[in-house]
Amino acid sequence: MHKYWQLIKHDHWVFPYLKQYRGLLTLVLFLGTMTFFCGGALMFTSGYLISRSAQRPENILMVYAPIVLTRAFGIGRPSFRYVERLVSHNWVLKIVSRFRQRLYLIVEQGTKSIYAKAQTGEVFNVLANDLFKIENFYLRLLFPTIIGWLIYIVVTLVIGIFNPLTALLILLVLGLDTIMLPLITVAVRGARDYQQKQLERKLYTDLTDAVMGLQDWILSGRTDQLLTDQETDFHNIGQLQGKNSHFEWWRACVAESVLGLVVIILVVFATHTFGQGYLSVNWIAAFGLVVFPLSDAFVSISTGFGEWPRYADSIKRLNQLEQTSQTDAQDEVAQIEHPQNGPINFNQVTFYYQADTPVLTDINLTVQVGEHLAILGQSGAGKTTLLKLLLGDEQPQKGMITIAGVPVTALSQHRASLISVLDQKPYLFATTVANNLRLGNLQASDDVLWEALAKVQLKELVQQLPDGLDTPMTEAGKRFSGGERQRFALARILIQDTPIVILDEPTVGLDPITELAVLKTIFTSLTDKTIIWVTHHLTGVDLADEVIFIDQQGISLAGTPTELLQTSSRFAHLLALDRGDF
Amino acid sequence: MLDARIFKFKGAKPALIRLLLLTLLQALIIVVQGRYSSIMLTDLWKGHSLSLVPIPMGIFLIAFVLRQVLTVAKNYALAPFADQTTGELQQDLVKKYTEVGPSLIAKLGTGKAVSLAVEGIDQVHDYLSLVLVKLFDMSVIPWVILAYLAYLRWESALFLFFIYPVIVLFMVILGYAAQSKADREYDRFNRLSNHFIDTLRGLTTLKQLGLGKKYAHNIFDVSEDYRKATLSTLKIAILSTFALDFFTTLSIAVIAVFLGMDLLNGTLPLLPAMTILILAPDYFLPIRNFANDYHATLNGKNSLADIMDILALPEPDDQLVYQQKSPEWTQTDTLRLKNVSFTYPDAEKPALQHISLDLQGYQRVGLVGTSGSGKSTLLNLLGGFLIGQGAIEINQQSVPHLAQHDWQQDLQVLPQEPYLFHDTLRHNLAFYAPTVNDDDIMAVVEQVGLAAWFKTLPAGLDTVIGEGALQTSGGQAQRIGLARIMLDRKRRVVLLDEPTAHLDIETEMRLKETMLPIFDQRLVVFATHRLHWLAQMDWIIVMRDGMIVEQGTLSELLQQDGYFNELRAAMRGEEEHA
Repeated sequence: MHKYWQLIKHDHWVFPYLKQYRGLLTLVLFLGTMTFFCGGALMFTSGYLISRSAQRPENILMVYAPIVLTRAFGIGRPSFRYVERLVSHNWVLKIVSRFRQRLYLIVEQGTKSIYAKAQTGEVFNVLANDLFKIENFYLRLLFPTIIGWLIYIVVTLVIGIFNPLTALLILLVLGLDTIMLPLITVAVRGARDYQQKQLERKLYTDLTDAVMGLQDWILSGRTDQLLTDQETDFHNIGQLQGKNSHFEWWRACVAESVLGLVVIILVVFATHTFGQGYLSVNWIAAFGLVVFPLSDAFVSISTGFGEWPRYADSIKRLNQLEQTSQTDAQDEVAQIEHPQNGPINFNQVTFYYQADTPVLTDINLTVQVGEHLAILGQSGAGKTTLLKLLLGDEQPQKGMITIAGVPVTALSQHRASLISVLDQKPYLFATTVANNLRLGNLQASDDVLWEALAKVQLKELVQQLPDGLDTPMTEAGKRFSGGERQRFALARILIQDTPIVILDEPTVGLDPITELAVLKTIFTSLTDKTIIWVTHHLTGVDLADEVIFIDQQGISLAGTPTELLQTSSRFAHLLALDRGDF
Repeated sequence: MLDARIFKFKGAKPALIRLLLLTLLQALIIVVQGRYSSIMLTDLWKGHSLSLVPIPMGIFLIAFVLRQVLTVAKNYALAPFADQTTGELQQDLVKKYTEVGPSLIAKLGTGKAVSLAVEGIDQVHDYLSLVLVKLFDMSVIPWVILAYLAYLRWESALFLFFIYPVIVLFMVILGYAAQSKADREYDRFNRLSNHFIDTLRGLTTLKQLGLGKKYAHNIFDVSEDYRKATLSTLKIAILSTFALDFFTTLSIAVIAVFLGMDLLNGTLPLLPAMTILILAPDYFLPIRNFANDYHATLNGKNSLADIMDILALPEPDDQLVYQQKSPEWTQTDTLRLKNVSFTYPDAEKPALQHISLDLQGYQRVGLVGTSGSGKSTLLNLLGGFLIGQGAIEINQQSVPHLAQHDWQQDLQVLPQEPYLFHDTLRHNLAFYAPTVNDDDIMAVVEQVGLAAWFKTLPAGLDTVIGEGALQTSGGQAQRIGLARIMLDRKRRVVLLDEPTAHLDIETEMRLKETMLPIFDQRLVVFATHRLHWLAQMDWIIVMRDGMIVEQGTLSELLQQDGYFNELRAAMRGEEEHA
């Protein structure tokens, strides 16, 4: 319980919004309360109506008011409920819009422009799921609880006007449903929840392993073991779910039974208070019937609380995410408004993640405007680190990186007008072809898009699509091959039209023929730009003006491809291998 | 509403009969509860003192509590049946996956295959427990109450009887209207709701384009569009609930007013009137409960149908045709494919056409061709993961396909992207040879060039890798796959699909030296784009558009003026000579 209280106290994701959007929130609570009020009032007036009618008053006008009220409440209840559902969803979705924006900015802050940390689809699904949980937290826990409590208070107060002692009794008995049972539920579910999460997680990963690795299970002849493991998983989780269900059933039973007691208390109270007068006796049935329609308001509190441990997890995760991201944020450096193009210069640059294992040491490198530089080296040699340093994603412990004499740290905000990047897996968004291309330049006209598509040899392909530029990328995306996807990304970069282009192994996973074709397109269409191209083998290396090898934290070889072929046996050997000379 | 297949499950009939009896009992208890609360209230109205009503009051309270206890009892009556049935379905489903194999998973999609066994089964469980209870409530309770009300006063009962189909009718009509609107909006709806995740996944790209911060507004705007779309759909979607709510509440109000009139006229005493008023909400309660869970019903039924369809798939029973004579593949064993073709389901063009080849003993066979020429498909067919048409013989024994138990037990496969289990590195490496010791494992880790990476691992061989744990690069995954093969020395047939595609050329060269010895004493089929491997191959198969266009030794192929030389020139960037 204590940890939940701490969580609520330190939360700045979920609860502050209650205050910020309090106008609509009040409306939601009012409508919800009115729904139950009308339900109760319908039975209350009906009870009075038939009791009074049974006394056969000589004039129908004597029961006219309850007749009208009965109808009014009968129409009021569903109407209030309908509006309440709309307004509460509207409220929640409004907050979700804010949530999404906020969450996006947090993730954005922690994302590097090359190779984001292990942020797989899994992580994003967790985040999206957390938002969904919080939607449900508002709709299924918070609103019903507050509405239930409001009804609880109103009922007690109304009785209190007539008889404070009865009111106290009602307060205690109904408190079982509105306070005790929810607390017990949280305690019981909270204790089991950790175990249940472990089991669910295990079941899920085991099942994913079984399905994704099915080929290996079958080949290894170990399917029997797989089935035994699964059986254990299913059994364990089934048992726990069984326990939870049993608890829920009995809790609901107790919660409902308590209301039977409340009916008796109200009937006794009504008889004491109104049982003597000829007219007032009609109120007895009214009080006797009022509780039944209210039962949902009280019972649903515990149901909502049952899910609290899960909601709490999501709230906790979002709060933590924000903290991590804040520690990640770097000091701001004064930014240059309009960066100028010029030579790129690495001056005595040293970089390490851990001081005892430097990645790059004393790198000196100049890339002239319009030069096409290829960077070669083994996996893990530091090629990508070099790019990260150039993009300002990482900062060197020693030395300085400048473009046209300006340190790259002063460029990060407006970098996109100077440098564009084509990496291994450029993302194509689930929107139209045109929208994907326009991400390069939001103001680009259709003509510019077509021109870029023509340069990357995709014009005919896009012309054949059912809606041309307006064809959604996802539907069409399944038909696009790896080479075509790279060409789309290249077209985007052409539209972005920056003087410097970074190519980070843009052809990994393509077959050699496609690879060469894509590389030729790249170098033809970007011929007047400065190109820095990281690659891990030598296909198309003669497209570059200059080649360097990164090796043992430094530049071990440098020269034009022709020079290197003559002077370096290593280069010649690798080139021969890549060309498949026998 | 009720799927007939439910009755076929073991223990269904007794469980449902128990449920029926308990529901019937509960219906009677509800009538008793309504009757005695009316007696209590009517007596008090007549001016009886509290001391005179303890009996009706007591009966009311007992009936009220008993009614709740019966709800629990119904759940208990159904739970063992629901638990057992879903438990069995779950196990049968996974068993089916292993029997039919990866082609079934490929057809279903991995996501669906997993979610069917978890969420799908949960939905079936809900269907078999919650929904059945509500279904039975709806089929029993209102009619028992109605019968009693008819006995009290047939006019009211008649009104309640006729209003029932009206409610259902309105619900259905509005439900359809909402559905058609929802269908129309569905695409937009889906697109908007997936937009957020899509954007997060593409964040690196957005950052590169300098749109990282700007896009936050877009997120908000799209989210607001989503909100508006949701609300406009919701406005109609909840109309059917509104209709249900409206008619039931209004019916109660109408009944109350009618009863009032009859009481005024003196045609009805208070007690039956009070009973009718109290029982009327209970008459409507089951249908309201059922309507609230209508989606659970639909989901449960659909999942059940999906699962039953999969379970009804035929199991391949001809996997034991091939009987291997020696314990493993030997120097003299042969594999022959004659005129084998394969077409993917839903594809127009065959992926493999008229494949004929002879493999023998410990041959090393290279497989070359452009992407999409059918290399991977052929490897999958050789592995028995795809089943095509044509004649196949192993050691002169004719077999219907290569999903032969004895053949697969001699097989090792290195796919383009080996799957890493969410498990320790040790278990991942020793997957095919669970009994090897750590020294052997470490030796292989060294051989495949993972030693440097291994040193960075927090818990050595006990480090958990795979999805959701320590991430590995494509190159590392391929080397782990390779290590798996090296640790199992018994299997003599190796199929490799571009095992070095993610490696840089120098790492590949070092790895080549450790790989070549594995190829000794084994039949190797090696698909690759890297031509330097071909020098070490005994036989080369050249593929184009799903067909074998050339095969022979390297020197034979080099001498022919055929597609191989054309391909080689194109790969070397010498199109002009081709």
